[in-house]
Amino acid sequence: MQILPILSAMRRNKVGAVLIALQIAVTLAILCNGLFIVHQRLALSHRPSGMVETDLFAIDNEWIGDPTDVSSRIRADLAALRALPGVVDAANTDQYPLTNSGWSEGIDLKADQQTRSAFMSLYMGDEHLIDTLGLRLVAGRNFEPSEILDRGSTDRVQPATIIVTRALADKLFPDGSALGRSIYVEGGKQPTQIVGIVERLQTPWTGTGGWQEKYFEFSVIEPYQFVDTGSWYLVRTKPGQLAAVMQSASKRLLELDRNRLIQKIEPVTDTRVSAYRDDRGLAVILAVVCAALVGVTACGIVGLTSYWVSQRRRQIGIRRALGATRGAILRYFQTENLLIATAGALVGIGLAIAVNLWMVTSFAMPRLSPVWAVLGALLVLVLGQLAVLWPALRAASVPPALATRSA
Amino acid sequence: MFAYYFSLAVRSLKRNVVLTVLMIVAIGVGIGASMTTLTVFRAMGSDPIPGKSAELFAVQIDNWGPDSSGSTNGKQDRMQNQLSYKDAMNLMQAHPAKAQSAMYASSLALTPANPDLQAFRVHVRAPYTDFFAMFEVPFLYGAPWSSADDAAHAEVVVLTRALNDKLFSGANSVGKSITLDGHDYRVVGVMNDWEPIPKFYDLNDEKFSKGADIYVPFTRAVERHMAIEGNLNCKDNSESGWEGRLRSECVWVQFWAELPTAAAAADYRRFLQNYAAQQQASGRFHWPPRTSIKNVREWLAYEDVVSDEFRILVLVSFSFLFVCLLNAMGLMLAKTMGRARDIGVRRALGADRSAIFAQCLIESGVIGLAGAVVGLLLTGLGLLGLRTMLSRDIANLTHLDVIDVVIVIVLAVSTTLLAGLYPTWRATHIQPAWQLKAQ
Amino acid sequence: MLKMTHLSKAYRTEVVETYALRDFSIHVRPGEFVAVTGPSGSGKTTFLTIAGLLEEFTGGEYQLDGADVRGLNDNQRSRLRNEKIGFIFQAFNLIPDLNVFDNVDVPLRYRGFNGAERRRRIQKSLERVGLSARSKHYPAELSGGQQQRVAIARALAGEPRLLLADEPTGNLDTQMARGVMELLEELHRDGATIVMVTHDPELAIRAQREVHIVDGQVVDLVAQPRLVRSGSQAQI
Repeated sequence: MQILPILSAMRRNKVGAVLIALQIAVTLAILCNGLFIVHQRLALSHRPSGMVETDLFAIDNEWIGDPTDVSSRIRADLAALRALPGVVDAANTDQYPLTNSGWSEGIDLKADQQTRSAFMSLYMGDEHLIDTLGLRLVAGRNFEPSEILDRGSTDRVQPATIIVTRALADKLFPDGSALGRSIYVEGGKQPTQIVGIVERLQTPWTGTGGWQEKYFEFSVIEPYQFVDTGSWYLVRTKPGQLAAVMQSASKRLLELDRNRLIQKIEPVTDTRVSAYRDDRGLAVILAVVCAALVGVTACGIVGLTSYWVSQRRRQIGIRRALGATRGAILRYFQTENLLIATAGALVGIGLAIAVNLWMVTSFAMPRLSPVWAVLGALLVLVLGQLAVLWPALRAASVPPALATRSA
Repeated sequence: MFAYYFSLAVRSLKRNVVLTVLMIVAIGVGIGASMTTLTVFRAMGSDPIPGKSAELFAVQIDNWGPDSSGSTNGKQDRMQNQLSYKDAMNLMQAHPAKAQSAMYASSLALTPANPDLQAFRVHVRAPYTDFFAMFEVPFLYGAPWSSADDAAHAEVVVLTRALNDKLFSGANSVGKSITLDGHDYRVVGVMNDWEPIPKFYDLNDEKFSKGADIYVPFTRAVERHMAIEGNLNCKDNSESGWEGRLRSECVWVQFWAELPTAAAAADYRRFLQNYAAQQQASGRFHWPPRTSIKNVREWLAYEDVVSDEFRILVLVSFSFLFVCLLNAMGLMLAKTMGRARDIGVRRALGADRSAIFAQCLIESGVIGLAGAVVGLLLTGLGLLGLRTMLSRDIANLTHLDVIDVVIVIVLAVSTTLLAGLYPTWRATHIQPAWQLKAQ
Repeated sequence: MLKMTHLSKAYRTEVVETYALRDFSIHVRPGEFVAVTGPSGSGKTTFLTIAGLLEEFTGGEYQLDGADVRGLNDNQRSRLRNEKIGFIFQAFNLIPDLNVFDNVDVPLRYRGFNGAERRRRIQKSLERVGLSARSKHYPAELSGGQQQRVAIARALAGEPRLLLADEPTGNLDTQMARGVMELLEELHRDGATIVMVTHDPELAIRAQREVHIVDGQVVDLVAQPRLVRSGSQAQI
């Protein structure tokens, strides 16, 4: 197929060709970046928290009035919960993952440091917390019951022992020697010894970018019973018993003591859905817009090519009369479309990378690999060829007899 | 001639249904997508208290110093966006502004009088009495508490209308008593509906959702050790206990001042710098004074109220509009050049270039209007979609007001006219001789 | 009425210069019915488009109704066309979107007449060509002859000084062609000035005189009085 004659014939329809090429370029730029963001957000929303999220629910418990014996009440609650049929384990804590609400603190390798070695989020719990959340202890040991002390939200104390996540351990002690070493938490002067390391436990926050992503897996568990006006009870149930236990748990707690407010009882799976709602929403919206973009551009190609075909009916008839086959006419228009689309795609690749670079600086987005841009371009070329098929087939069916008509 | 061209346009569009529908749909879809995001974007960035936003200022004092490790929440200028209790109290005492209020957010259990009803959590805001006058909060019954109440740590509350409806079926509850966290409080006033969007006075949690359910004097809240909701940021080690927190450099208090004139603002700036200099002199601060006041608009920009996700969505949707307009331009070009002969005939019959220009432009305008209608419908649909898919915080922003509708129409017509400019220009340069010669 | 003196029209490409009209002169007086004939490519269509102010010319002079048209801008030429010239094309060139009434209306719209004046003129024109009954029909619903008559009505509605016809019967069968020619002759008898371009010698005879163009130049000037009678071919 001779490309030059096609190109020179296109000069008569310069503007139309430029319009299609431009549409393809912009569509490609948005498609690449949009789908990239979709992929990124969906990946984000699937990040494991470290907990085993099935068969786990949380109770938001708040004491009314200002009871003085909160500690014994909490202990009574925990005993009651653990005794319920269908319950595997239960624990009381100040925060849990995916709530986007929590306590973050600094952590140092030495006392009296000016700047923090790292930041972490602080989970408080007794020796039941690890099993309740379904965390995996990969080194060292769990807390002993004798190590657990009471702590309120305004108490400034430092624990003697601590369990950290593997990510935090590697950050503080890249040589792998974290277990048994001492660190200084919450700006304190007393050393705290690392007695255990869990595989993974995310901080409560799920946001993108910035410090939330940077410190995502830096968590610690301190051996405290969180004794305060409000705290979370986490309850792990036997498989299939979640709904039943949620009901019986709140009943049992209210039986024990009416002077409380159970603001929320929620399976942790629901917490995940709420946490990533906006990310999922953004992904859906972007996916819809990308699909619509492709549709609009395809319609544009169909429309404009149909017009060109109708303008050139006589010419097509002449070609057929001179011996061109149907296939030749079809190939002519497909080649023409391919040339325009390739031009558009080349510009589009450049545009996609430029847009991505700008987003990297403005929005702290990760970089788009050029491979994706090229793949996107190929996809767009294929779609363009599909779109032009219908008008091209119509062109191919123009009868040669048209050459002899005067109009 | 306008009516003539209008009827010509309508007739021409009717005869070419497929092409017309494609053009209108192309524009409508583009407008729908871009207006959906623009509506929310406008709401996000809108002035929540027009008329007074230039007179209300958020106060910042650098009480951590430039060397502090800073928590993860420091801004670019490394200043905290809240005050410590100490600074807030000092400012409230000195009272250099026409009106000012320290405040913080908390939550409490409310036990209804009816023993059959369950206790439930209410969101609390604990300001000083100036809050209500400063922010022009409308009242349904009663009035805010007095400064004497502030000084006396009085056990009084102001209810929101919604809470009043829930507890007292909307009746005048002034003088009645409610139980918060096991203690009784007397109702002194009931607020009418008041929901500035964004919730500029406290942007710590959800920025666009409704505010507190109940208002308690700051002094009372502190005395009762009401737990701090929102953001509590502490630098280094501080003492244990509630008292220790009050003495510390932890920041958790929002502080707003009303400064009606530029002179008042300048005075207040000077006052703040002097105050910080005093703290430096007394040994509390070891760095040069750094303070700032920002009015509502500046504060919203500083706090970056519009999320990045939304900026991206707006850009994507307007690029989509651009593609749709290119599309429409191509279709209009095809339509115009397909009618080249008719245009040549009109020119032969005496139409000059401007007549052809007017005719084509008005046709573009008609398409734009039709596109506006389709766009409006799709915008409504789009906003509904956003409401269901995104979190409650954003859902409050997904409502069309009159200005949005006007923007839709203006945007649709103007962009269609723009897209139609090139085809129109081509039409005016059609050589009648060429058209009529060529058989 | 229409006076061209030593008119030339050149088309320049990058390499070659072709003359569609060369040293072309013609004088049509008011009330004359002139046929312009010549083989294909002789330049007769170019002559018509220049006469109708649809194209510019390269050299020479052209006076329409006593006024020199050289140097007129596009707007002025449009006005002149609108007020003084009525066109009749081989392909009728009615606007398919509009009905008969609205088609005849088109030149009047650009004239600036008010609604009542336009209606009066349209009705008068349609009566003249015998198509008042069909004013609501669309061109697609009419025969070729009827369409051409609508085109003539359109040309007449502005009461032009000059009628320019380009192969007016070219797309019609013999019967319809006869009807249209009879109409043209009637108009001529009523005082119209008509210049008709045609390649058909039998039609050319029905005009008052004939101008023959070959290769852009007038070759023959046959200025003999003719007997104008329907359906006859008298040659003197």
